Amino acid sequence: MPTTTPSPAVSPADLARLTEHWAEPPSLRAWFSTVDHKRIGRRYLVTAGFFFALAGLSALAMRTQLARPEAGVVSPQEYNQLFTMHGTAMIFLFATPMLFGFGNFLVPLMIGSRDMAFPRLNAFGYWVFLFAGLFMWSSLPFGAAPNNGWFAYAPLTGEQNTPGLHMDVYALGLLFLGISTTAGAINFIVTALKLRAPGMSLNRVPLFVWAIVATAFMVIFALPALNLDNAMLFLDRRFDTHFFDPSAGGNVLLWQHLFWIFGHPDVYIIVMPALGIVSAVLPAFTRRGVVGYPLVVLAIVAIAIISFGVWVHHMFATGLPQLSYSFFSAASTIITIPSGLQIFAWLATMLLGRLVLKVPLLFVIGFIVTFVLGGFTGTMFALTAFDQQVTDSYFVVAHFHYVLIGGAVFPMLAGIYYWLPKITGRMYGERLGRWAFWLIFTGMHVTFFPMHLYGLFGMPRRVYTYRSEPGWDGWNLVSTVGSYLLAVGLLLVLVGVVHAVRRGKPAPPDPWSGDSLEWSTQSPPEPYNFPVLPRVHSLHPTWDERTAESTGPGASADRVLSEGRRTLLTSELDAHRERAVEMPESSLQPLLLAGALLLFFTSMLLAWYPVAAVAVLVVVVTIAVWLWPPRRPDRELGVTA
Amino acid sequence: MTTTRAESRARLTGGLLLWYGVLGGAVAWVVHLLAGWSLDELTCAAGSERVSAVPLWQAVGLAVVVPALVTVGSLLVAALAWRRTAQAQEAGADDRAFGRARMLATLGIWANLLFLTIIVLGGVAVLVLPPCQR
Repeated sequence: MPTTTPSPAVSPADLARLTEHWAEPPSLRAWFSTVDHKRIGRRYLVTAGFFFALAGLSALAMRTQLARPEAGVVSPQEYNQLFTMHGTAMIFLFATPMLFGFGNFLVPLMIGSRDMAFPRLNAFGYWVFLFAGLFMWSSLPFGAAPNNGWFAYAPLTGEQNTPGLHMDVYALGLLFLGISTTAGAINFIVTALKLRAPGMSLNRVPLFVWAIVATAFMVIFALPALNLDNAMLFLDRRFDTHFFDPSAGGNVLLWQHLFWIFGHPDVYIIVMPALGIVSAVLPAFTRRGVVGYPLVVLAIVAIAIISFGVWVHHMFATGLPQLSYSFFSAASTIITIPSGLQIFAWLATMLLGRLVLKVPLLFVIGFIVTFVLGGFTGTMFALTAFDQQVTDSYFVVAHFHYVLIGGAVFPMLAGIYYWLPKITGRMYGERLGRWAFWLIFTGMHVTFFPMHLYGLFGMPRRVYTYRSEPGWDGWNLVSTVGSYLLAVGLLLVLVGVVHAVRRGKPAPPDPWSGDSLEWSTQSPPEPYNFPVLPRVHSLHPTWDERTAESTGPGASADRVLSEGRRTLLTSELDAHRERAVEMPESSLQPLLLAGALLLFFTSMLLAWYPVAAVAVLVVVVTIAVWLWPPRRPDRELGVTA
Repeated sequence: MTTTRAESRARLTGGLLLWYGVLGGAVAWVVHLLAGWSLDELTCAAGSERVSAVPLWQAVGLAVVVPALVTVGSLLVAALAWRRTAQAQEAGADDRAFGRARMLATLGIWANLLFLTIIVLGGVAVLVLPPCQR
């Protein structure tokens, strides 16, 4: 239940009308048909967390296998499936959807809107994500999970080298998931450009929202390359086309080029919103705004663009001309400057502010330490000569775990603790949170730091076992012990969240004195988010009296909008008020469409082509019904008797 | 208040110039990267070091010089926009569009400097490396 009294600016009648238009009754149908961005955001967070647990358990099985030389915990075939599903799930089913979950819950609240721009598309995106994740994970118990590594290099992924359904699951699963990610990205862009509260010009947009929008643009430009790659892989495997077959005029490097045109921006697609979380958390725990706001925006925009020009640094060992490498090497080196800019901005913020050392800030500090170490080894890869020496060794595994756990998981955990009161309406236990932080921080470094060493000693990645002679066994045992520590820490986070939801103290609307608009709503927010849509006067609206006054007594009716399910449309650059728009109500169509797509992809996988044709028909009909203009009263259409 | 045609044309030109100042360097760098890389890769793969009658290093050099000049132009426009908005704010203009334009101009200056650096580094490589050395 919300924990504050109703807004004094709105009459009880208006509040009753808002509730009537926006609230969803607690029923099974409402559960399946909801389009509320907060419920969908929470579902993204929980589902991504579930896939994270599955991928984490896969990692534990692998580390148990590698704890001793020549162990037999899992077979080579099982190991191949475990490391592929671990990587694929962490990248595609956990990191991006988790951050989309934060975005879904928070973007409308941070910009002062009542929902996302396309609520039904939002619900559709979630259902597709859920079904695509289940589609991929359900192949594991059948021994048919993807087994060629998360970047699936051709020609190893061809039917001849990898028979069975394994890589079909990979190609179709990622194509299926891509629909969700693209839909989500479009929604974020339109929401942030068109639904900002009046007055929130571009120079007053929260850094988290900038990060989400930049990420969404990256998704729009990067994902088509991956989709094309996977479509060609599936066609090669199933219908004997020869896109990656040099003997028939194809090209094996085509896979790598397309994959990394997507894959390197994807690193930033994962890290960027997480960096946005850091910029959102810091002001509350340093008692000041982030230093150098325009430069942090510059860093976000520059990274989003330059990340598309560095992909060949993943291919420095493929024998292309040195001059070609140098163009990409230059971009790979320079991209560290905007990344470094953000780090210095956060350090300066902490230096100039007054630190409040709560759990979210601990995770931010853990992030800075870990991410900088990962960035340091990343810069080493920009040097072609070094990159060629360590390609496909455990050094690379160490590097990207520092970047991804440091750069994404630590900020996500900071975000979970920071926004838990807003999301659930309950406070977490500080002591348990601190234990979780120290276990995760220690476990992470004990697991992955030794990988730099045994990578440099020559241990290749993706081997299911090794012999004792090279001297890798001691370091591997250390990594395995670390991985169990890390798992215990993550388990404590889960325990902390469940405990908070069940027995936590009720949270006030703004327990941290945060600076962005979500803290001016109730905890958890009402279905309509804001009784009065605010008028924004500064970059830190909740610290700004004029913005607070705009939602106080005397707020004009054109920002209450209680006559219907409505929110405000504003201009893209300066957020000038344009008009109020009617938002769609809950619907089962998103679920139905996602279900039809699941049927299509499953029947394609199992070569049930007639069923696939029926599924296509259902998809077309559902889309037609969805887009059919609603019947409106004559009066609304301007028809008079 | 009515807006005359001349005012709206000036507004459009100003807006387009501002966006050139913000994104010109980025677009120029994309052209530099794609042109330089594909010229080098495709010509060398065909076993040649010439593009028609032009030596490959000169063709790739062109893919450095032209984008670099475009980026310098974009940098100058961004700097000019930054100065103008600063003057307007000093004169007491309280329109939030000025604040937004000033931020975009700041962003443009720094972004153009970054993109110019990448293009110049690519130019250094053209001078140092034989175009088809593997």
